[in-house]
Amino acid sequence: MLNTKRKKIPVKYIVIIIIVIIMIFFGIFSYTLKEDRKLNAVESLIKDAIVGVQKVVYAPFNYVFNLFSDFQELEKIKEENDILKTSIDRNSAIETENIELRRQIEALKEELNIDYVLTDYEYLNATVVSRNIGYWYNTLTIDKGSHNGIETDMVVVNSTGLIGKVVSTTNFTSEVRLITTSDTNNKISVSITNGENKLNGLINGYDYENKTLEVEGISNTEEVAIGDKVYTSGLGGVFPSGILIGTVESINTDEYDLAKIINVKPSADFDDINYVSILKRKSDQ
Amino acid sequence: MAIALVSVIISFLLDGLLSNYFNFSLINPSLFKTIYTIIALVVILPYFNNDKKYLYILFGTAILFDIVYTNTFILNIVLFFLIYILNKFLDFFMPHNLLNSNIRSILSVTLYYILTFIILNIVKYNEYSLSLLLNIITHSIIMTIIYTTILYLLTKYLYGKFNIKQIR
Repeated sequence: MLNTKRKKIPVKYIVIIIIVIIMIFFGIFSYTLKEDRKLNAVESLIKDAIVGVQKVVYAPFNYVFNLFSDFQELEKIKEENDILKTSIDRNSAIETENIELRRQIEALKEELNIDYVLTDYEYLNATVVSRNIGYWYNTLTIDKGSHNGIETDMVVVNSTGLIGKVVSTTNFTSEVRLITTSDTNNKISVSITNGENKLNGLINGYDYENKTLEVEGISNTEEVAIGDKVYTSGLGGVFPSGILIGTVESINTDEYDLAKIINVKPSADFDDINYVSILKRKSDQ
Repeated sequence: MAIALVSVIISFLLDGLLSNYFNFSLINPSLFKTIYTIIALVVILPYFNNDKKYLYILFGTAILFDIVYTNTFILNIVLFFLIYILNKFLDFFMPHNLLNSNIRSILSVTLYYILTFIILNIVKYNEYSLSLLLNIITHSIIMTIIYTTILYLLTKYLYGKFNIKQIR
């Protein structure tokens, strides 16, 4: 007679198998979350198709939403129109000044051996399709992708300042990681403008409780004042210099009293990002 | 099957749509934010006597969630499957009705937030404090209840129209 009794696997082996599976999963999660995994061709195709559907489905909702917000904006428009009328008269003077400034920038670039400054970039506008589902990821999906010339590491800004950088692209979409993520591999180099002085530091992370960015690497002997503007320094190669990040909100010192820890209030409102611009180098065209 | 599929698709699109209109930062979570897709998966569960079909929908949705919303690999497949296991466990002592569906949805969404919090902290994606997690969970409860109630009543009505009864 056949022995139909199944052999029981010992509990210790089951525990080991479970631990190994958990470790494999954590390895995969760690790799894919930290290394900005590139989507493969099938995934890109699926994402493009779904974002396309989303854009069609969301269009009527966006239309109604924009209608209401436009209506709210109407009150401000009259006042803004009066201001604009007065500034039109200054346009020709500004244009002449611009030409002179451009000439000076080119001369300085040559003298200082700088490859790119902010004026060497053009702005490519994009609409946010979805934002940070599940709260934790600090990312945005925008409706422009590699088809529009977007590449990873391109800088994303809006009218108020720096937002983040592109971490992955498909043909028609891109994923933007916000500067509120502590990206230990790519800390953003910043410069704090204090009158004539320019101090360089690094963004160390984001304080969710106070909604401020933490800047470190500035000696305690240096003078920094509350309200000083913080810009990208251009060091590190990813972010061009001169993009506004925010203003100094508070200043503390580290535990050894050697360096300053500066809390910077971001100029961009990360709760309300609907449209963004991607900085694209003019020479890349 | 078709009603379940439509519920999941609409909820999936709602996740993306509503993220555009309500606060999405960690410190200022909106009362209108929850994970609509998970709620849909919880509400449609009792209408499947064949778990294989349900799992196809669950894994399909999880893959899309990974690709479209979180830019991750396998993460949501694992999380959604764990939520399915939680609901199968709850089947032993929690029959499906409006109240229990609400409790299941709250537990499922909470489990999703807790697991993502643990995983992201362990792999050092970012360091989040426990107070942020509690803030998000408490803020998601109201919308979870509202959406579960609406979806539960709607699916029950639609399934009733086609004479399909809850299995569990």
